[in-house]
Amino acid sequence: MNPTHLVLGVIGADCHSVGNKILDAYFTEAGFHVTNLGVMVSQDEFIDAAVETDAAAILVSSLYGHGEIDCEGLRAKCVERGLDRILLYVGGNLVVGKTPYAEVEKKFLDMGFNRVFGPQVDLAEVVELLRSDIAAAGRK
Amino acid sequence: MTPPAFASVDIGSTYTKGALFALEAGAFRLLARAETPTTVDDLAEGFARVRKQLAAGSGSSTDVPVYLSSSARGGLKIAALGLTADLTLSIARMAAYSAGGKVVRTYAYELSAEEIADLERLRPDIVLFTGGTDGGNSAVVLKNAELLGRSTTDAFILYAGNRKVRDRVLALLDKKAVAAADNVMPEVGTIQIEPAREVIRKIFLERIVDGKGLSAVVREIGRDPWPTPLAVFELAGKIGATQPGWSDFGMIDMGGATTDFYSHTEAFTGGDSVLLRGLHEPLLKRTVEGDLGMRVSAEALWESERTLITSRLAALGRPVEAFDGYIRAVAAAPESRPENPTEEEFDALMAAACVRAAALRHAGTLSKVYTPQGGFYVQRGKDLRRLTRLIGTGGYLSRSTSAGPVLEACAPQSADVDSQPLLPVSPEAYADEGYLIPLTANLAGDFPEEAARTAVAGLRKLKG
Ligand code: B12
Repeated sequence: MNPTHLVLGVIGADCHSVGNKILDAYFTEAGFHVTNLGVMVSQDEFIDAAVETDAAAILVSSLYGHGEIDCEGLRAKCVERGLDRILLYVGGNLVVGKTPYAEVEKKFLDMGFNRVFGPQVDLAEVVELLRSDIAAAGRK
Repeated sequence: MTPPAFASVDIGSTYTKGALFALEAGAFRLLARAETPTTVDDLAEGFARVRKQLAAGSGSSTDVPVYLSSSARGGLKIAALGLTADLTLSIARMAAYSAGGKVVRTYAYELSAEEIADLERLRPDIVLFTGGTDGGNSAVVLKNAELLGRSTTDAFILYAGNRKVRDRVLALLDKKAVAAADNVMPEVGTIQIEPAREVIRKIFLERIVDGKGLSAVVREIGRDPWPTPLAVFELAGKIGATQPGWSDFGMIDMGGATTDFYSHTEAFTGGDSVLLRGLHEPLLKRTVEGDLGMRVSAEALWESERTLITSRLAALGRPVEAFDGYIRAVAAAPESRPENPTEEEFDALMAAACVRAAALRHAGTLSKVYTPQGGFYVQRGKDLRRLTRLIGTGGYLSRSTSAGPVLEACAPQSADVDSQPLLPVSPEAYADEGYLIPLTANLAGDFPEEAARTAVAGLRKLKG
């Protein structure tokens, strides 16, 4: 059986690399095939990799506070490029300052992300959510 | 004892050229040369003539081993098909060029009806069919296999995409001449072009050798021919690997129809504040520009490089109309040579534009990215700044006696301070004076070091 493919990376001009390596190791351990694009990844690079690998989900990280600008339009671009069913997850320190989490979450959900996570997230929970979201989306 | 002799013959689209060498003290010594117009209807005729001339010129027998390359019939035409432009398609193009092919068309994503019709009209020798990582995309790949299978294309189809669906792809193409090689991109960003390159070489032999008399030549010499650019590519690799002082060099082969750029240098050397994005390109890289050439492609060159050429014409005080007329004249008569100083100036201008554009397209870029912490850099493509030597070959650059035309490859940096092309900084320039490179290249398979040494010894260092 083919493992499910995920694409992972830190978006924009963000070069925080520690969390990215942890996520790569964690999701690989959980049985996914992870294509890790590393830091400073553009929207197009995420999408190209997802197209080539037939990924079920793109996991976007943003730590440096400019996540909102960097993520804007990603969903629309995915649809344009034929990824109309792909799951988009985002996590990290998504905005600058002390905006309440609920507000941040709403902002990114409105942008077309399926799930939004803060820095304190429990990765075991994320794996569970990912499995059920993938099953619900009718992917293996 | 007389040293062993070897003959090398290159059957080009216009000329069939040959050389006879003696192998002495680790290098080849030139004994005789010969040249005759290529006999297009029966390549064996011109080949026999060259071979006879070589024997006569040296007083030796015709009985020496012969090494052969051919680019007759315009070389190996490849259509590259990939999934995304920046990943599999880009690698497919790289594979085609490093196999000595000429990329006549590229297609990404699912083939449209128009693209299939275009492919059927174009009739390339090979369709290099890629897409998907191993275990990755299959939907588009299988759809394209189905479309190619139903099309009337008679090209050889080489499948080098997602391995997991290879059997199904081959089944959909069972009415076609088809072969498979390992995926050119097994994982995102991993380049694996050797297997596809090897299969392309075999297809070249099967497809291109029969017909036009080449099979008779092959039977006679008992050795497989190489596509000329593949032989040159291999030679460039041997020069870089074995010749002291030549680990970082570039070579520009500029002809009437195309300009080829070869580079042998590590693509990315990093540093603390530089990050590579996109593909990590190979140590040895070849690009071919079909719109940059001195004769057959003169009009395409004028079109592509109009801005540069126009500003240089203005600096020289030459009217655009005169240049325009010259372009049309040489495109109509590809054998013509400049006949007066003005025409020489025009040729020099065309050469400058070809070299400059080919270098810019071969090279990567370095862009400055600003963050709240300060600036750092992002590199894309290949870094050519460390090239210490540049060779010019092909008719015009082989004859050149000044470094000027070759050094156009180090064109002034772009006006955009935040994004610079990674061109060579201060290389020495060399001319392949005796135009020996294609002929020594044929020997590089069996005699890598000797051929590389001979090619380098035949170069002339040029002054500014
Ligand atoms: C180390 C560090 C740096 C290092 C990075 C070195 C490197 N190679 O990674 C350096 C010094 C270079 C740096 C630079 C900057 N940093 Co800094 N940095 C940090 C620091 C101290 C630790 C980051 C870290 O490694 N954490 C450990 C890892 C394991 O956690 P993580 O990155 O958060 O990732 C986890 C979770 O967030 C989550 N997660 C992340 N992505 C995703 C995605 C999904 C889908 C899911 C489910 C989960 C998830 O899972 C990860 C694994 O557990 C943090 C403060 C902090 N304590 O977090 C600031 C911090 C991230 N940096 C910050 C800033 C502002 C910067 C700079 C802009 C300026 C500066 N102050 O220096 C520059 C930006 C440079 C750039 N272009 O990216 C701010 C960001 C503020 C904001 N977002 O509001 C922080 C929060 C500090 C602060 N409190 O001000 N930084």
